[in-house]
Amino acid sequence: MNKSICIVFNKAPYGSQSGRELLDIALMAAAFDMPITAIFIDQGVYQLLKGQEPDILHIKNHSATFKALPLYGIEEVYVEQQAMQQFKLDIHQLLEIDGLQQATTDGIRAKIAQSDFVLTL
Amino acid sequence: MATFSLLVTANPYSSQGQFSAIQFAKTLLEQGHQLMRVFFYADGVLVASRLHAPPADEINLTKAWAKLAIEKDIELVACVTAANKRGIVNAAEAERNALTGDNLDPAFAISGLGQLTEAMLESDRLITFG
Repeated sequence: MNKSICIVFNKAPYGSQSGRELLDIALMAAAFDMPITAIFIDQGVYQLLKGQEPDILHIKNHSATFKALPLYGIEEVYVEQQAMQQFKLDIHQLLEIDGLQQATTDGIRAKIAQSDFVLTL
Repeated sequence: MATFSLLVTANPYSSQGQFSAIQFAKTLLEQGHQLMRVFFYADGVLVASRLHAPPADEINLTKAWAKLAIEKDIELVACVTAANKRGIVNAAEAERNALTGDNLDPAFAISGLGQLTEAMLESDRLITFG
């Protein structure tokens, strides 16, 4: 059994490269058949917001790649319920990703604890 | 005893992360653990430039990494995508991109993100210094 990785997105997109660079790690690890869980907490939930137009800021749009996560074999995708409430976001405002689930902070804590490696930027 | 790899994303002279990583690497080796690879990503790749010239009474982080790599035979690998866009290039990349020069310190190698994944597969622990 390959070692598992939890990738934690905790920053809003475009203000930093963090989201895009974490996404690159996720896709590469998926190519090595490592079981991957993608988790969006705090301002990281904004990574999944629909209708991003960073092109006007001359920043490459990486939103579409999140939708492709299941295609890369990343089927465990969790978004933190508390953060959604805090930022007044509804699940329908987020990208339609197959298997995207809301999870409590405790649920996310458990997912992280079960992983061999945890990465965030 | 465990096998470690490090992921270093800290900007070298703006934050403490790089120095902490060097101290951590030295200590784990002193304690008899293995250090498989140090992978530099995001702003962490900036340390791989051989052109840093900090004041004489301050630490040169590039040289500190190079010394550790040579003495202890440690692999220092910078992500090619992160490095090239931040102006860290080896001779081959400089030529490919028609740049006027290269600046990669010889103690460092430039390679792909697969090296980070491989480090996780072959290490017991990966510690991030951001």
